[in-house]
Amino acid sequence: MRYESHNEEETKKIAADFVRDLQGGEVVFLSGELGSGKTTFVRGIAEALGFHEPVRSPSFTIVNRYPVENVNIKQILHVDFYRIDDASEIPPLALEEEIGQPDTVTCIEWPEKAPSGMFVATHQIICHGGDPYVFTITSLLPQREGFPRLL
Amino acid sequence: MRILAIETSCDETSIAVVSLTNGVFAIEKNITSSQAKIHAQYGGVVPEVAAREHAAWIIPLLQEVDVAHDGAGIDAVAVTAGPGLVPALRVGVELAKSLAWAWDKPLVAVNHLEGHIYSVWLSEFQAPSGACDRPEGRLKPMFPALCLLVSGGHTELILMRDHGQYELLGMTRDDAAGEAFDKVAKLLGLPYPGGPQISKVALEGDAQAIAFPRPMIDSDNVDFSFAGLKTAVRVYLDSVSPLSKGELRGVAVANVAASFQQAVVDTLVAKTMRAVQQTQPASVILSGGVSANLRLRQALSDAIQSRFSGVSSDGDEAPVKLFVPDLSLTGDNAAMIGVAGLMKAARGEFVDPLSLKADPNLRLA
Repeated sequence: MRYESHNEEETKKIAADFVRDLQGGEVVFLSGELGSGKTTFVRGIAEALGFHEPVRSPSFTIVNRYPVENVNIKQILHVDFYRIDDASEIPPLALEEEIGQPDTVTCIEWPEKAPSGMFVATHQIICHGGDPYVFTITSLLPQREGFPRLL
Repeated sequence: MRILAIETSCDETSIAVVSLTNGVFAIEKNITSSQAKIHAQYGGVVPEVAAREHAAWIIPLLQEVDVAHDGAGIDAVAVTAGPGLVPALRVGVELAKSLAWAWDKPLVAVNHLEGHIYSVWLSEFQAPSGACDRPEGRLKPMFPALCLLVSGGHTELILMRDHGQYELLGMTRDDAAGEAFDKVAKLLGLPYPGGPQISKVALEGDAQAIAFPRPMIDSDNVDFSFAGLKTAVRVYLDSVSPLSKGELRGVAVANVAASFQQAVVDTLVAKTMRAVQQTQPASVILSGGVSANLRLRQALSDAIQSRFSGVSSDGDEAPVKLFVPDLSLTGDNAAMIGVAGLMKAARGEFVDPLSLKADPNLRLA
């Protein structure tokens, strides 16, 4: 699905709509150039899941964790591989212990810096900066029609 | 009292020996293996490469500072316990724990930000460098001191009421100022590290050429936001050079760099002056890697001078003095950790070498 946004509030609204389908355990890849709205989109996800402190860029820290209180989702893992250039730098971060846990929604910026296959996305969001910003959201999950929502 | 200090929170491995005698700090050794060369090829700080380099450098550096193998002459060990990158922090923390345990010396855990603040206590004993506006003589910062801490990972305004007493007034809500410098440098195709490169290129540019936004400059709080400014630069570059940003050259790049730098400086100075107005400090401390930016030093110094011009020291409002670290101590270094560590040791604030852990989110207040 393709969504257009003209400002931060609209981006957060798209993110909030996206969050409605999340049940915990999702791994969301966010791709796009510097300033294309990736962190803003994650901020929208975090706010929609009830995290109300500032969501800062994890470019420096690599990983930020936001605790939230939902029925199924207890944590948002905000990962940013912007500064990673060598696959060998990722395993020591021990992210595999947390990514994909049933109570965690993981958002990964610059996922293409990790070797393909190291992490498996359930959703992909391609971000384009500009006027308007364009977010193309693809669910990589098999269709789950008739599958009861757990929320 | 003499302390061995270790700093490995990000991309610098550094070990120092700092002494405190009759209230005077002295750097006996301060050795930093700048890893900028290694990182330049990656276009940023790479944590695991950093950690690997810390591990490779740290024992040779310990040998270089030439402490006795049994720790004789050292009264305590200080180490940066956070905030920072866990794989990097761990290298320093584990060495400090081992030494403190083996030598049976007290161990002090220092917050990296506290170290940056204390870097100005070292500067007062060194020859003033012309470009910065440091108070004459051997004045020390008076309390309360308002600290603007700006680096690649931090943009914070902290009120220091006394030694060891901090109150966080405001911070960035998205990107740190230094991170914005690095990312804009990348957008402009400038090499790493981005901050010094932008400042250098900006010298040839017109700071008024492009009206980049000053995010949140008019809001009442003292928080910062730099992500929108980065985006504004990206939008501008797309508009002037949509097909290939690489085609932007010379004066055009210099104007973007100068205008961007001015927007960051204006924002930092405006917010700091708002905090000065709100908290009425006796001193202002500017520190962290971005405090090496001469434009920022000058602008903050000018703003303070013009704010307090004509105000005599016996008036209602005492003049506020600006303290900045020597340029050599703006980046990460162990000497500043040693000063903060000596102050904590003097207060008896020690930690158990068996249980100290690196804390990537360690808070100052």
